[in-house]
Parts: sequence; structure tokens; C-alpha cells
Amino acid sequence: MTENIAIITAHDGKNISTSTWELYAFAKKLKVHTTADICFFLVGEDTRKLAEEINSRTGCPAIAADVPNTGNYHGEIYKKTLAHLLAEHSNDYILAPHSISGMDYAPALSIILNGSCITGVEDIKAEGDVLYFVRAMFNGKLQADMQSQGVSNSSPLILTLQPGAFKPLQPNKKLSPKIIHGRFDFSEDRMRYQGKLPSPSQGSNLAKAEVIVSGGRGIEEQENYQFIEMLATIFPRAATGASRPICDYGWAPYKKQVGATGTIVSPKLYIACGISGSTQHLQGIRDSRFIVVINKDPTAPIFQVADVCIVEDLIKFIPILVEESQKRKTPKGN
Amino acid sequence: MKLLVCIKQVMESGSEIIIDDSRHGLTYSNVTRFEINKYDEYAIEEAILIKEKFGNVHIDAITVGPSRSGDALRRALGIGADEAIHILDETKGYRPPITTASWIAEVAKDRNYDLILTGIMSDDEMNGQTGPMIAQILNRPCAGTIIKEEISSDGKTITIEREIEGGAKDVFQIDLPCVLAVQTGINSPRYPSLSKVMRAKKKTFDLILAESLKKPGQQPKLHALGFPQKMSHGIVLEGSPQEKAVQLLDILVSKSLA
Repeated sequence: MTENIAIITAHDGKNISTSTWELYAFAKKLKVHTTADICFFLVGEDTRKLAEEINSRTGCPAIAADVPNTGNYHGEIYKKTLAHLLAEHSNDYILAPHSISGMDYAPALSIILNGSCITGVEDIKAEGDVLYFVRAMFNGKLQADMQSQGVSNSSPLILTLQPGAFKPLQPNKKLSPKIIHGRFDFSEDRMRYQGKLPSPSQGSNLAKAEVIVSGGRGIEEQENYQFIEMLATIFPRAATGASRPICDYGWAPYKKQVGATGTIVSPKLYIACGISGSTQHLQGIRDSRFIVVINKDPTAPIFQVADVCIVEDLIKFIPILVEESQKRKTPKGN
Repeated sequence: MKLLVCIKQVMESGSEIIIDDSRHGLTYSNVTRFEINKYDEYAIEEAILIKEKFGNVHIDAITVGPSRSGDALRRALGIGADEAIHILDETKGYRPPITTASWIAEVAKDRNYDLILTGIMSDDEMNGQTGPMIAQILNRPCAGTIIKEEISSDGKTITIEREIEGGAKDVFQIDLPCVLAVQTGINSPRYPSLSKVMRAKKKTFDLILAESLKKPGQQPKLHALGFPQKMSHGIVLEGSPQEKAVQLLDILVSKSLA
């Protein structure tokens, strides 16, 4: 029997998420080292159209389950439904996004399916027959090659893929869809969805800003956020942002938070001041066209995504930078 | 009501990272300092806030690790936990989350906790698996990235706000007992108080040897640790701060960004 590389499809009910296509790219790379076939699994309230899209575009089988009350994500329903669907098929590898929902169900699935789990995977390395899954530790300062022995359909390996680690692969075949679609009633009594609350960043100017100056823990105290505001004044229209930790400390409001759990930004210019570069922050800025990093710690992971690296203490450097900028703006001879 | 808070001792943030010769672990020197994983500090604080609100609440703090990780438990007692459970594991090398979760679940199984709290991940290994795994082993509902919680007055359910991508929140009502992994910013963790620290010094831990607990069958292995190769593709500016400022402004002008 052919084994599967199962992809758990991320979607919002209407559209297939980019992370699904990143998983597909990752699955293709994994497939080179195995004899397994790629197969998509979907859970949602109304998945038929999404399953058809996946199947017709990739040619891979799509197995979809409609479950009432799933909403965008319901942990208990997801775990039950996926465990049921996956157990009916023969999977060596199960791939999920390293998203807030993926991080919730993947570890649980590994227990239900008697498998093992590696989260936050960024790459695969092969040495002979042995596969290593590369993941970050210590906020990206360390890299670990992980290995799972005895991967089989009776003990699958569940992997969550770090967003952005693989370039999304979005094929556009036009096959007539053949999907397996079912309806389940796994309504789960232990956990009841009550509704959704908007993000504090809703309506903020960050998402559309062309220039963003952001501050992180390097500002050292709340009043030093003025240096971030000071730097923003040298641009005609710049928004100010913040990393998650300084929002958690109450040094900046949450509506200014840039990152996967705040606002995803895509400015022409992003200036990160005193931000170390947690994964969730990097995910939020990766569509920035040009990134300048000011940080006194030369090992800060954020330097890995910088176009210009400045190893300086922002508190000393920003006033100098603003002064130099003002010198240029003042006409000579005055 | 009985609460269990799962904590991990990690290297103090900003510590120098030295990979040992086996490439399976890190080398610590006598200057290496350790602290409670910052995500777990929010879990401890949330437990104390629940206790302050309801009064009749007992908080156990639990950790898995070598004897030095007892310092993390002592600090948790200093902050406000009532009792500490230390699963003592002196083995060197990588301990995957499934092992930690299995051991904690085995110890928690018969102690009837109404609520088990963890941080969403650890600062060092960043797996984020321990909480969801404990929940699954104990067959309890689980939710992560908790940014707010409120236990009903009858103590039977808990209403939580769970942060999702983009900062929006899903609200769920969950039956107790359950497991929650809390997100940073849910509260402002307090410092230990002197009186509690003094009391904590005299307290004995409930010491459980890891060898006495069952090891899970299937577990991922750490093959090797390394430093990432991908260093910046960017230009590193050199010179005095003034020179760097001038160079940066020149670059921004050349890119039509200033």
C-alpha cells in the first residue's frame, strides 16, 4: 500500500491559505526522499469547493470533512476529525502549518496516532537514508537537526512548518476534481465557541504605511519610545510600530504591535530599532521591501533579514541620525 | 479548586550559547545563570490571580529537570505557589516534549487538578508542545495563546479569549478540568515577596525521580545542534556613529526612501 504525505490544509473557509502552498512545496521536497504520495486533508464547515480547488490544481487526492460548528478553528473538533480521517488512510508524514491552530492540534495528533512530533520545521536535510528536520531554537540563535526513527504508518511523524521557510508552490493544473467528501457530526461538548473579538490593531495605519519605524526591548524603558517617534519625523509620512514584548510591558499600545499576532506589514521601508527578531515578528515584516536594523547586539536574529545592519545602541544612534538628516534638510549657507 | 502550573528553567536570556562536544546539548559554565522561562511566569501569575479572586485555591508548581531547576520551583513558591513538585531528571542531552509531557501527565493524573496552566512555549527550545500533549494524554480539552480567562462562579467552566493570527481573538467556553497554554501579556507577572521567599526556603519539594516514571515509546531525537549558516545578506555599516548615519541616509536617498 502506498503511504501518504498528508497535508492538513489551512484555509479561512473561503480561501486556501498561503501556508498550505508552503506545505505543498515542503511536501514535494520530502517526497524526493520517500516513496509516499501527497494527499490533502481538509476540515471545515463547508469544504467541498476548497477540496475541489486543491485537487484540480495539484492533481493530489483531497479528503474533506464538513463538521458543523468548526468555525475557523475549533481545537476539539479538529483533533477528533483529523484523527478519524488520518486513521482511515495510511500516512507516514503529516504536515501542518506552524500556525496558532497547527501548534494546537499537531502535538495532540501525535499522541492520538501514536506518532512523534517536530514543530517549527524550516528545512529538510538528507544524509543517505536518514532525514533530518531543521528547526530553530533560542529565538533563531541555534539550529537543531531533528530526527525521528522508525517513521511508519503505524507511527507517523507529524511536522509543523515554519511560515515563510518555503516559497509557496501554487500549481495551476486544470483537472476535473475528484475528491472524497464527507460529513461528520463531531460536535464537541467540552468546548463551545462563543464568538470573535476584533484585533486591537484593526483600523491602525500600520498595514498600509509606506515607512514604519518600530521599537523593541532595546528602548529599555517606556519613555525612550520617544526615540522611535523622533526617528519617524525624518520621513514625510511614517508610522510607528512596536514589538510584542514592549506591548506586553505596556510601553506601547497593542494596536502598534507588528508581527504575526499584531499587524502584518508590507512597507517600502521598515526600520527595526532594538528588536531582537522573534519568529512571530519576522513573520509580520517579511513583505517589507527594505529593512534597516539598528541593534547593539550583533547576534540578534533580526540582522538575518536586514538589508542594512547598524550595530549601535538606538538610544545613542537615533539622535545622531536625526541630526544628520536635519543638516541635509537645512539649506547650505544659512 | 486545585491548579497546576508547569514551569521550565531556562538559561537567562542573552546568555552566551556554547554547544558541547557531543553537539547534543549546551555547555554551562559557573557564570551561566538560569531563570524561569518567561512564558511560564505569566502562567504562574495567572494562577495567583485566580487564587486571589476565589480564595479557596491550591497552586502546585511542577518542573522536570536537574537539581538546579529546583531554583525555578523555589522562585515560583516565592511568587505565590503553595507547593512544588520536582521531577528530577539528571540525564544529559535533549529531552523531547513528549517525555516531559508524559511525566507531568503521569504525576498529575491522580491529583485531580481543575486547571493545568503552561506557557505557550519555552524560550530555549521553542517547541510549544508540552501543554497540548499533557491535555491529550489526560484526555482533557485544551486551548493555547490564552490572553484572558474567567472561571464561572460555579467553578465548572472557564471562558477564555484565545489570540489568533492578526491579533483577533476567538472566545470559547471550556469545561473544567482543562489545560490552558497562556500567551504573554495576559497579565503583569509580579516579583517574589520577601515573606514568601523566606517561607519557600524552608519548604521541601515533592521529589519524584524521573526513572520511576514511564518513558514514552516514540520520541524524536536531536541529531546535532549548530549555529545557523544564513547570516545577513545585508550591508553592515562600519565607522563612527556619525559615519554610519551619513552612510544610511545616502543609501535611503539612493533607494528613494528618504
